Amino acid sequence: MIDPEELRTRARDLLEGGQVRAVIGYRRGTRGWAAEPVVITRSEEAQDLVWDPSCVHNLALYLVQDRRRRGVLRGPPDRPIGILAKGCDARAIVVLMQENYVQRDEVYIIGLSCESSGMLDERKLAGAAEGIDPQDLEAVDFEGDAFVLSSRHQQWRLPAAGVMAERCLECRNPCPKVHDTLLGKEPREQERRGQALTPAMSDPFAELQRFEQTADSVEARWDFWSRQFDRCIRCFACRSVCPMCYCEECMVDSISFVVTPDTTAQEKANRLRWIERSASRSDNIGYHLTRALHLAGRCIDCGECERVCPVRIPLRLLNTKMERESRERFGYEPGASVEVAALLSSFRDDDPNDFIR
Amino acid sequence: MERILDKGRLGALVAALADWTVLAPALQDGLWAYRPVAGGEASLTLGHPNTVQPPKGQSFPQREVFFTFDETPDGQPRLTPLVPRPAPRVVFGVRPCDGQGLTHLDQVFGEEAPDAYYQARRGTLAYVGLACNSPPSRHCFCTCVGGSPFGEAGLDVLMIDLSDRYLVRALTPVGEALMTAGQGVLTEAGAQDRAEAQQRRLAALAHPQRAVAAPQAVPERLKAGFGSALWERLAQPCIGCGICTFLCPTCHCFDINDEVASQSPVCGSRVRTWDSCQFPDFTMHTSGHNPRPDLGARLRQRVSHKFQYYFENHGVFQCTGCGRCITACPVGIDIVTVVNQVAAEAAAMQPADS
Repeated sequence: MIDPEELRTRARDLLEGGQVRAVIGYRRGTRGWAAEPVVITRSEEAQDLVWDPSCVHNLALYLVQDRRRRGVLRGPPDRPIGILAKGCDARAIVVLMQENYVQRDEVYIIGLSCESSGMLDERKLAGAAEGIDPQDLEAVDFEGDAFVLSSRHQQWRLPAAGVMAERCLECRNPCPKVHDTLLGKEPREQERRGQALTPAMSDPFAELQRFEQTADSVEARWDFWSRQFDRCIRCFACRSVCPMCYCEECMVDSISFVVTPDTTAQEKANRLRWIERSASRSDNIGYHLTRALHLAGRCIDCGECERVCPVRIPLRLLNTKMERESRERFGYEPGASVEVAALLSSFRDDDPNDFIR
Repeated sequence: MERILDKGRLGALVAALADWTVLAPALQDGLWAYRPVAGGEASLTLGHPNTVQPPKGQSFPQREVFFTFDETPDGQPRLTPLVPRPAPRVVFGVRPCDGQGLTHLDQVFGEEAPDAYYQARRGTLAYVGLACNSPPSRHCFCTCVGGSPFGEAGLDVLMIDLSDRYLVRALTPVGEALMTAGQGVLTEAGAQDRAEAQQRRLAALAHPQRAVAAPQAVPERLKAGFGSALWERLAQPCIGCGICTFLCPTCHCFDINDEVASQSPVCGSRVRTWDSCQFPDFTMHTSGHNPRPDLGARLRQRVSHKFQYYFENHGVFQCTGCGRCITACPVGIDIVTVVNQVAAEAAAMQPADS
């Protein structure tokens, strides 16, 4: 288990030594037990950093925000930015590097191994134990393969697998492969499998398989997805939280962000609007399916889109479907290595399709 | 008018309201949402904490078609206005914070510049509130922003949970009409029922909530804190999505677009949709200049609109303390903390004699 104190010391040393200009991490929020992302720039802020099962957020998003801010400042970074990275965060950083959005020497990765555990899914808490009310919790913590949850008056020790996020149960790389320093143990695959966790813990795409077995016809899937997409309120939280959604201009926005004083009225008027602003079924489907396709071979399954959705659209099903395609068809795993060319910007002589050869 | 409704007879009450379409909170796909309910449903209960979305969409739907346009056979443009004419609807289980929120929408779309579409929907809507014996969320703070767990604003009827029964109180002529329609199901309320309701009210008011510090000083302090560096710091984790505004019972900003179905012959519709001050294109000028260029400026707008600008214009906070924006924020941005921190900083910087 990672001692949060060790993490704080590492961050403090990096900031004091001037090796990094900031550290992206987690701290305790004001709305209860859940951690929140933070960017610290002073060494004394390192004492605020936390590490517990509520550190769900994919911090790679803040690398994207940092780069955007630097774009405004028009200056190259003088020093790297430090970032805490779980296995999934590190995979996202790798994709950003593969795509040349972030350079390796601009980032100092403090890898955090989830070891034999993962992150808590708040939605699984209700009814997970006698008397537990997510609203009353004050703190959550790791303890081996369990989570310890505390309210003001009571404490529960729950097997992590029962309340862990699905994507963590299916995770094959809970320890970051790319890092500058690593905290926590690198779990060996055998050890991992030997633990008394649910079968899904070692079964990739388990939730997708369950869905495909339940909705096993085109009609059933159409009914299912129609109901899901009809709920969409187009708050774009799924896009906003995604570190891979860094386009300057997005097909769903009403106007172009790259409008400059030189853009003519004609150019503005002629801008195509692919997807209307209305939260109607066809526009919602247009939005979500386009996004899923844009993430094919890039989504590293941090599950953030699904976690943040206020109307609970199971977006992971779309993204893991794409992930499984890229794995089965091309043997490609997004975020595995900076050296490998990105799936959609490379081709092989043995590609199964004629048109690309 | 005050009556008693036996909890087991809620379905019978709905059945008695034959002239209305009845909506009530229902749990579907893991979400509490207002859905039409059929009369006589014995299982109907009002067991919800609060709905994920407030009832504002009933009068201010996310998508409203103003008119359709097309060409006549001889090539003349033709507009067909579409003012909605919905059948009477009654929404059950509205929490007092959301009732309060409806009064703000009425203010914006009704009093100063009446909006025909809003008015048409609002005119046939009735709201039956459910008082909060205890706060439905740990992020509730209605009592700091002029509300109350037993508040009656915006509602036509208030129901108070007395364990095995409700005390049902009509607040408007529409509420009286609803209770008259349901009189076969309602029974007389006695002094004991009223005393019990009063006890519940006092207990609810004593229940601790989140606290906005010195609320009466907040508008002035936010004004003083406009240039504070705190806005940017507090917005640091913000991802720039629209959850906080789209789930808000009082946010009412919108965009208007022509949805063109065909260029030749021309046809389509002019549509109003919700918009959000948290989106970068919300304030984007045609020149490319954006006066709210970053997340800090957008957080400041959202918070100041609720706690300063609206107060300056209408004398009340726009925020009703429902806590949805806190609960649903993907990264924990907490409007109570934001207001308290900016106001505290401004207070500390003011000279002691002012």
